[in-house]
Amino acid sequence: MAKLHTKKLFVKALNKKFGKDFDLASQKTEYKRLGPEQNARKREFMEAAKKLEGKRGISFYNPYVHCGGVPLGQRQLVPYKLSTTEYIVEGDDLHFVNNPAMQQMWDDIRRTVVVGLDMAHEVLEKRLGKEVTPETINNYLEILNHAMPGAAVVQEHMVETHPGLVDDCNVRMFTGDDDLADEIDDQYLIDINKLFPADQAEQIKAAMGKTSWQAIHIPTIVSRTCDGGTASRWSAMQLSMTFIDAYNMCAGEAAVADLAYAAKHAAVIQMSEMLPARRARGPNNPGGLSFGFMADMVQTSRTKPWDPTQVSLNVVAAGTMLYDQIWLGSYMSGGVGFTQYATAAYTNDVLDDFSYYSCDYMMDKYGGFAKAPMNLDVVRDIATETTLYALEQYEEFPTLLEDHFGGSQRAGVVAAASGIGSACATGNSQGGLAGWYLSMCVHKESHGRLGFFGYDLQDQCGPTNVFSYQSDEGSPLEIRGANYPNYAMNVGHQGEYAGITSAAHAARGDAYSINPLIKVTFANPALLFTWDDIRKGYGMGGAREFRAAGDRSLVMPAV
Amino acid sequence: MAYTPQYYPGNTSVGINRRKHMSGNLEKLRDIPEADIVSIMGHRAPGADYPSTHPPLKEMGEPDCPVRQLVEPTPGAAAGDRIRYSQFADSMYFAPSIPYWRSYWGAINCRGCDPGTLSGRQIIEARERDIEAYTKTQMDSEMTDVALCSMRGCTVHGHSLRLEENGMMFDMLARSEMGADGNIYYAKDQVGIPLDKKINVGKPMSEAEAKKRTTIFRADAVPFSGTVGARKPDEALEALHHMWERRSLWGYRPE
Repeated sequence: MAKLHTKKLFVKALNKKFGKDFDLASQKTEYKRLGPEQNARKREFMEAAKKLEGKRGISFYNPYVHCGGVPLGQRQLVPYKLSTTEYIVEGDDLHFVNNPAMQQMWDDIRRTVVVGLDMAHEVLEKRLGKEVTPETINNYLEILNHAMPGAAVVQEHMVETHPGLVDDCNVRMFTGDDDLADEIDDQYLIDINKLFPADQAEQIKAAMGKTSWQAIHIPTIVSRTCDGGTASRWSAMQLSMTFIDAYNMCAGEAAVADLAYAAKHAAVIQMSEMLPARRARGPNNPGGLSFGFMADMVQTSRTKPWDPTQVSLNVVAAGTMLYDQIWLGSYMSGGVGFTQYATAAYTNDVLDDFSYYSCDYMMDKYGGFAKAPMNLDVVRDIATETTLYALEQYEEFPTLLEDHFGGSQRAGVVAAASGIGSACATGNSQGGLAGWYLSMCVHKESHGRLGFFGYDLQDQCGPTNVFSYQSDEGSPLEIRGANYPNYAMNVGHQGEYAGITSAAHAARGDAYSINPLIKVTFANPALLFTWDDIRKGYGMGGAREFRAAGDRSLVMPAV
Repeated sequence: MAYTPQYYPGNTSVGINRRKHMSGNLEKLRDIPEADIVSIMGHRAPGADYPSTHPPLKEMGEPDCPVRQLVEPTPGAAAGDRIRYSQFADSMYFAPSIPYWRSYWGAINCRGCDPGTLSGRQIIEARERDIEAYTKTQMDSEMTDVALCSMRGCTVHGHSLRLEENGMMFDMLARSEMGADGNIYYAKDQVGIPLDKKINVGKPMSEAEAKKRTTIFRADAVPFSGTVGARKPDEALEALHHMWERRSLWGYRPE
């Protein structure tokens, strides 16, 4: 029966990489050792370095210093197809330094805070006796969209920021109160009823009640110059000044402190938690970003709710890039190796094939998404079958095997598919996590190898923390994150965990994984990154079709 | 009744080979001279004295310690050798050994060693004269096929790549090569430094021989649990499921 589910989605990508008539199943090949010149991007790099070397006055990029004169390209340097899309890019194009869309994805998170309006309105109404109406709110939002990018509202002789440098900044509000939403100017509203399917909109509004919130995205250039901790400070200053202007307050009265306190502390939701001193980052940095928040930022659940597998794959793509390439790969470590770990999860339709196989298998056997009972027997069945299927594909298609850099990628991809299938079947993220760990163990036992240093700490020991709810041992997957004790060191895991989180909720038809406010905030149509199709965004970035914010060329001499 | 370790479940050739590797009861296939092993490892010139990090233990006046009295030092530890390594890459195309089984072999059979297991390579660190002996055992035995396995200290990429047309595992640094006589020669040491002379390590196994001796489960040879649509769980998988379930329940601790 399981053979029916074999789609081999990766074959198309392999044909594009190796050529249509290439024998994908051969276990032998001729290694031509053509060096970096075989690859257009490496040639571009060498030419650019040559031009810049004289200007720099010091040696620069030279692939021939690699391994004492043996340069990259002893094997074929193959491109990557962004899964589900038609974008084919070079591996180099998927390093975040070379990919502005990837940078913007992270910028969009780092520059965002959600700030409640209700507390401020209470201060205005009860303490100051001001009237708050839809009209005053619209007026406030107009002033705020002038001030938030970096403009003055109640001061004389102020410096301001050039609009051309900060045009990505905007503030919209959203509310669970349909009557109020109807009165808000469309340009300032994230319209839950229009942007979400009806059942999801109802879930979100039920969770929010009649509360009102501001989705605040400060200028990218500000968060890039400072850091994630700046978002709440920058926004709080501009919010407070705007309240003074919009409601004709005294600039020095104590009530302003209440508004500032609400904006900076009492009513603000950061995208991520502060990290402990040994990792030394403020809020709104990737290490404190929970898997549940990551899952909620991705919007595929809103635009393709009928396809929970696709939802999960997009969350994996977002998470692997942010957690692996940027967080572990640069904040915590450095260099270029981490890109290789992450790309396997969102390129060449490999994880897609394994995940759809897993979900088709579980639907056939258990009757649909979130229909299976949540127990270890179900997880054992789905994760084992998925893992064995996936390993068989690597064995049947040697080109698929070598498509990944090594075992860490295989382990992450196979376990992610197992976790996604298990989570989709049970509608339970912990069930998905149990499937992940079983997959790791089955994989290691079959091939006698797994990932980096065996993934022995994180994965072979992992089953014990799945159902533990003691504070430093376990938690619901939704509130675990990159800084969870057992997850803080291994690349190739965290994005997949976020994907498994989303799988459970997408399978259940949930509108969000853990926080409806995050889900709505990232539905803002004015965000630059393609939050509903993560892989497309990366492809656009790699193909040099994506224009990011934060560019300074407007105020610099032309090159 | 003396205890006989069982080591590993299953009656497939892979299960049997895994037990052999773990038990250390390995067939010796070749006898590579010690000096050649030392040259390929690249830590010291053959015949040179062993550099040391401390005086011989007998000269150190060790404290009165029951553990020291109980555990006899390895020759390398007794002499004060520095700690060095050898690292092997094993192709997924039926190399006889696989990283975890090199580690299990080391941890069970080699005193004073520190195995490290990755997906494409496996390292064992130990006192220098000890690791030289352990490396020779690996190189000489059925754990190693000279075309499908190679000693690589760095730039190990190759375990999951298609084989060269002559059946050798890809090596970016081309540390070893097949001679016109069909023998495999090391031209560089394990970190890629050219050797003074090429070292003959013998002929590779035939494909059939490699498949007979391999410890990897593969769907196109000995599958772990059947194939898609025709599952047949191996005893090792059943044991694994049992361990996974116990580990999961232990963490839950429903009491």
